[in-house]
Amino acid sequence: MFRLLSVRVAAATLVGVAAGAGGGFALAGSISSPAEKAAALNRLAAVAATDSSTVPAPAPASAPQPIPAQMLGADVPVPIAPSILRERNGWLVSDGKTLLAVYAGAAGNDPSVGRVVIVSQNVAAGKQTVRAIDAGSTGELTITAAPLGRAAEASAQTGSLRLRTAGGHFLTLDLGTGRISREPHGAPLP
Amino acid sequence: MRLLACTLTLATGLAWSATVASATQPVTAWYMYGSSGSDLKSYAYAHGCDFAQAEPGTGMRVLLLDFGAARKLDSSTWGAVDFSNTRFSNADILSALERAADGYHNCHVRGSVDIAYGNSNYHLSGSGMSSTDAWWAGFHQSERSEDLADYQSSKGYTSQTSDAASDMEPSWESPSVTKQLVSGDQAQGWALYYDFGSADGCPQSGNADGACNNGWHVSDVGYVSYAALALPLPEIYYTANANQWTVVRKWWNANAQGTYFFLGVTASTGVGLTPTASWAALNSLNNGLVESELACFGC
Repeated sequence: MFRLLSVRVAAATLVGVAAGAGGGFALAGSISSPAEKAAALNRLAAVAATDSSTVPAPAPASAPQPIPAQMLGADVPVPIAPSILRERNGWLVSDGKTLLAVYAGAAGNDPSVGRVVIVSQNVAAGKQTVRAIDAGSTGELTITAAPLGRAAEASAQTGSLRLRTAGGHFLTLDLGTGRISREPHGAPLP
Repeated sequence: MRLLACTLTLATGLAWSATVASATQPVTAWYMYGSSGSDLKSYAYAHGCDFAQAEPGTGMRVLLLDFGAARKLDSSTWGAVDFSNTRFSNADILSALERAADGYHNCHVRGSVDIAYGNSNYHLSGSGMSSTDAWWAGFHQSERSEDLADYQSSKGYTSQTSDAASDMEPSWESPSVTKQLVSGDQAQGWALYYDFGSADGCPQSGNADGACNNGWHVSDVGYVSYAALALPLPEIYYTANANQWTVVRKWWNANAQGTYFFLGVTASTGVGLTPTASWAALNSLNNGLVESELACFGC
């Protein structure tokens, strides 16, 4: 990273030097520089590639605890950008090792398309995935029924959520397969 | 001074002639969830270690930890509400950031890291925060980033530094309140403020100060992404996003001071463009003005 940034740092530094000398230095080719960022950019450029200390830090004293399965209302921050999802509500569960969060709503660029976005984290594997699943022309989706509470911390990750379309129809999101189908047990939507 | 000018001209020319830049491999950025401060620390340690083990190349990369929406927790306490609806004070978040630094140190293989305290502008005023509160949120965010740098230095973690970041989305909050995050950060003075948000609703062509979502204008996006200590690391999920950010860059260069450049791109998997395609989409419209950072939620 920052292959060109070293030049920008140099530019920022020079502007700082010039300003300090009462200069008003202007870069050739009309490339001016972010003088106010100079100190911070220089700091980045000065970071070494090795640590001066070889003493290991202590490992965490405890493992993460489960998060009971719960609905997420409109007041809870959404990590998904509005350009991807116009969110209605969400649902979350974690068994302490893997976390699953589902956000339901409509596609950011087309409110007629129902969409869910699934965020999955596996701490042990160091993996995080984000997956958008479209339900077709259903209008926005709302999660209306889901496993809740501590009893569902482990089992819910392969369970299912019930979704309501804008037109009042009901769909099922199978968390194991990531497929949306019409109820009851209908064929997957196109 | 003339020598300096000549040197700089040469360096700049070389850099701009070598604009066949390409994105490096993506590095994982994390949404932070946790039901307690202890959980947050455990996750952060794991993310720091995982990041170090997977870090490609020998350069510096940004470890972006998104702690959720900036919040004022009580009359004198700032922090964030995370994506599991748990409220964490900045003291909790700093502890987690320190554990991320520990994890990176313990698992360090190559290169260096800039650990960024990320938050968002999600419904700041809706949670009762005023513009002044938002200013203090930015101020304290930068302050905690500096605290993290002090910790890194005290521990001999010389391959690390720290900064701040925010997912500033026009749809989530007004421009006047959101700008205060950047202004507060600037007032504190330590942290670069990486904008990993969007230019939602902004025009996709031209360089005018057109309207964006929620009362924002192109100039507002320009401010939160490049004024003061801000640097853009924009979300590019679709080609439309690359078009919008190009308009922001062109507006800035036509109307404000300094040549706007991008630190890189924030991308995702599972929707729209692949991470590499995201970076390429922005770079194709801003050749030579896109650094190679590629932070990815979902990689």
